[in-house]
Amino acid sequence: MNLVYVAGATMIDLSTLTLVLALIAGIGLGYVLREKKCVGLGKVVFGAIIILIFSMGFSIGSNNELLASMPAIGVNAVVIMALSVVFSIVFLKVTRKLVKLE
Amino acid sequence: MIRYVLLALILGGIAGYLNNNFGKLLDNAWVSNYAFEFSLLLLLFAMGFTFGMDKEAVGKLRKEGFKILVVPFSIALGSIFGGLVGGYVLGIGVVGSMAVSAGFGWYTLAGPMVGQFFGTEFGALGFLANFLRELFTVVTIPLVAKADRYAPIAFGGATTMDTTLPVIVKYCGSEALITAFSSGFALSIIAPFTITTIATIPH
Repeated sequence: MNLVYVAGATMIDLSTLTLVLALIAGIGLGYVLREKKCVGLGKVVFGAIIILIFSMGFSIGSNNELLASMPAIGVNAVVIMALSVVFSIVFLKVTRKLVKLE
Repeated sequence: MIRYVLLALILGGIAGYLNNNFGKLLDNAWVSNYAFEFSLLLLLFAMGFTFGMDKEAVGKLRKEGFKILVVPFSIALGSIFGGLVGGYVLGIGVVGSMAVSAGFGWYTLAGPMVGQFFGTEFGALGFLANFLRELFTVVTIPLVAKADRYAPIAFGGATTMDTTLPVIVKYCGSEALITAFSSGFALSIIAPFTITTIATIPH
């Protein structure tokens, strides 16, 4: 990965920028072309997701150390998921009270 | 959808394992880096395109005004705070665990993106934690909807604009449609930016 050092401390990952640019370019182009009928986009998304998930599985499967640590990851995932959900609900309750959103 | 995703994950895992341990047919980087990065770029572009094209989605958001924005941002803050606490409790990297929870349930994005910034192990965690979030949302909506009709929306995170939306509408009524959709929509848009921003924190 290419790292650019800015002001000595902050690191900007070039591939990060590429990802954000791809998203912004997509939103912009979609907005410009919103009058056109674009079929098949769902298929592109589906295809991209499948390739993405396959290569993710590949990375996991080809990493022997990672496979050994899988049982621990499962527990971590449940804990992080549960805490995220609980705090989401709590935070939403509090802010809804504050802005009086029913 | 979930069926095909699981199948792709399992097949990819088997292929990676076989390639690594029983004679290398091709360099791991071809799939792990090139195919991966190409499809991630394509996915972000196509998702952005869909958002940009969706006239109704933008109109719905405008109509409800600022108040409705409180919902996704509370959920975002709550999720990230949960990740912070989780990372601390589990004794793993706090920044990485915050990034994991900033997927807001969008596991096809969170897994690869967190993996990109924090390594494969956190990537797997990002995938699994967010996958479980979607799974548990679908399963528990009928139960939590009775207690609080906003709870399933908080539970579902970014998934409430597509996969879990029909289930939420079924149990929380059609008036939950716009809130759920716009919340999921906003969370889906901010998820990649949030993960990226968290990744710039020194870790």
